[in-house]
Amino acid sequence: MEVVPNKDPQLKTTKPPKSMSPWAMARRKFMKNKLAMISLVYLIILAILSFLAPYITTVDISRVNIGQMKLPPSSEHWFGTDTSGRDVFVRLLYGGRVSLFVGISCTMIILFLGVIVGAIAGFFGGIVDSMLMRFTDFVLNFPFLVFVIVLNAILFGKVGGVGVLIGVISLLGWGGVARLVRSKILSEKENEYVLAATSIGGRPNKVIMKHLLPNVLTTVIVQATILFANMIVAESALSYLGFGVPQEVPSWGNMLSASQQPEVLQDMPWIWVPPAIILVFTILAINFIGEGVKDAFNPKSFR
Amino acid sequence: MLKYTLRRLLGMIPMLLLISIVVFFLALAMPGDPFSGEIDPNNTDPEYIEEMREKLGYNDPIHVQYYDWITGFVQGDFGKSVKYKIPVSDLVAQRLPNTLFLGIMSLVITYCFAFAMGMTAGRKPYTKLDHFIGGFNYMMLAIPSYIAGVFAIYFFSFQLGWFPFNGSVNIAVDEGTLDWWLSKVYHTFLPALVLGAMGTASYTQFLRNDIIDNSNKDFVRTARAKGTPESRIYNHHILRNSVIPLITFLGFDLVSLVNGALITETIFTYPGLGQLFLTSVQASDYPTLMTLTLMFSFIVLVGNLIADILYGIVDPRIRID
Repeated sequence: MEVVPNKDPQLKTTKPPKSMSPWAMARRKFMKNKLAMISLVYLIILAILSFLAPYITTVDISRVNIGQMKLPPSSEHWFGTDTSGRDVFVRLLYGGRVSLFVGISCTMIILFLGVIVGAIAGFFGGIVDSMLMRFTDFVLNFPFLVFVIVLNAILFGKVGGVGVLIGVISLLGWGGVARLVRSKILSEKENEYVLAATSIGGRPNKVIMKHLLPNVLTTVIVQATILFANMIVAESALSYLGFGVPQEVPSWGNMLSASQQPEVLQDMPWIWVPPAIILVFTILAINFIGEGVKDAFNPKSFR
Repeated sequence: MLKYTLRRLLGMIPMLLLISIVVFFLALAMPGDPFSGEIDPNNTDPEYIEEMREKLGYNDPIHVQYYDWITGFVQGDFGKSVKYKIPVSDLVAQRLPNTLFLGIMSLVITYCFAFAMGMTAGRKPYTKLDHFIGGFNYMMLAIPSYIAGVFAIYFFSFQLGWFPFNGSVNIAVDEGTLDWWLSKVYHTFLPALVLGAMGTASYTQFLRNDIIDNSNKDFVRTARAKGTPESRIYNHHILRNSVIPLITFLGFDLVSLVNGALITETIFTYPGLGQLFLTSVQASDYPTLMTLTLMFSFIVLVGNLIADILYGIVDPRIRID
C-alpha cells in the first residue's frame, strides 16, 4: 500500500465557500439599489444636520427680531427671514429636529403596541384573538385626524408640548400594524419549528420573542418605513392646521402654516417653499428606502 | 350574501354605541360645559345659571345625561351651537351640501384621471409613457395633500389667476340659476382637484396592473383570434373585468374624504363640514363638535362596512369569515 503524502497543504485549509446569510444578501442587494442608497444618504445627512442644529448655528430662533422681518434670501440669511424676523434656514434645521423626532417616536411606539397586540392575538388565537381584534377594529373605526384633533384639544395645556402629540397619534395609530402582524403570525405559527419549540417546553413569550418575531421582522421593517413617512405627514398636517406641536416650537408643519396668510403665500415664497420641498423630499426618500428594503428581502426579485 | 350583509350591519350597532360613549366622555373631559349654547351669556346671575343647569340636566348622573343626549341625537336634536347661536342641525344642513359637492366632484376627478392614465399605462406597459405615469404617481403619493393645496393656490390662484382661492360660490349670483351652479363648480374645482389627486395614484396603479394581468388571459386571446379590434379588446373585454375590483375602493374613499375634507376645506376656506369642525374645536363649540365627531365616525364606519361588503361581492371566500 502506498501512503499518499499530503502534498497539497492548500487543499486542507480551504474551507467550502461560506454561503451568505439572508441578512447579508439583503444588505448587498440594498447597497446596489442606487435610488435607495441616495435616499439613505440624504436622510442621514438631514438627520445629522438637524440633530446638531444647536451646535452648528448660533442664532437664537426663539427671539423675535423686528429689525429683520420678511427679508428675502441673502448671503447673511440663506433662505431669508420669516414674518417675525427669524432665519428660515436655521428654523428649517430646528424644524427637522422636531419633525423627525415626532416621526421616529410615533413609529417606534406604534410598532411596539401593534407588534405586541398582533403577536398575542395571532399566537393564542381563540377568544384572546377575537377580543383583541374587536378592540383593534374599534380603534381603526375612529376617523384618525378628527380624533387626534379632539384629543389634542382636551390634553393641550395639561401635559407638555410635543409629548401630547406623540402620545395621541400613537394611541390611535397602532391598529393597522396589529392587523398585519397578526395575519403574518397566523400563517407563520403553522410551521413545524414552532411546534418543536412549544413541545420542548418553550413558554409562549419565549416562542414569540425568539422564534416567531424574527420571521415576521422583514414585514415589520417595511411597514416601519411606510409608517415613518405617514407619521411625518400627519405631524406636519396637524401642525399646519394648528393642532400639532405648539406654535412656538419650530417644525416643518408650523413653518408651512405661515402660508395661510395670503400675503406670505403670494409675495414671500422663501418662507414656505423650503419646508414644503424638504418635506416632500424626505417623504420621497423614505418611500424609496422602503421600496429598496422590500425589494432586498424579496428572494424572487433579482435586480 | 344577504346573511353576511345583515350580520355586518348588526355588528355595526355596538360599535356605534361604543363610539358615541367615547365621544360623550371626550366632550365631558373638555374644559367648559357641553350644553352651554342654551344659556344666555349676558345673564351672569348665578341663580339663573344654576336654574338653567338644573333644567338642562347638568346635575343628573352621567348615565342619565348620556341617555338624554343620545336619544336627542337619534331624533335629530343635536343641541344649539355656542358660536352661531342656531341649532346644530341647521348648521349641518347649511354646510353638508358643500362638502357633498366637493366630495362628489373630487371623486369624478379621481375617476377621470385614474381611468385615462391607468388605461394608457396598462395598454402599453414598460414604455416611456408608462414609466412617466408611474413616476408621476410616485410623486403624487409623496406630496401631502395640504402641500399640494398650498402650491395649487400659489400657482393657479395667485400667479395665473385662473381660480378663486376661497369660498364655495359667488355671493352676488342668485341661488339656483345656471350661473350659480357654474360659479359653484368654478369655486370647487381647485379644492376638488387637490382632494381628488390623493386617490388618483393608487387607482391608476391598481388599474394598470390589473389590465396587464388580464391581457394575458385566455378570453383576450380568444377575442384576438376572432379578429376583434385591439381598441375594443382593451376598452370592453379587459376594462370590464378590471373595473370590478376597483369598486372595493369606494368604501375607503369615503374614509379618506373625511380626513381630506378637514385639510382641504381649511386651506381653501371652503365652507364645508371639515372647516366647521375645526372652527368648532377652536371656539370650544361643544354641541357642534360632538355632532360632527359622531357624524364623521359614522361615515368612516359606513365606509369600512361598504368596503367589506363589496369585498364580499367580489371575492366570495371572504364571506365565510
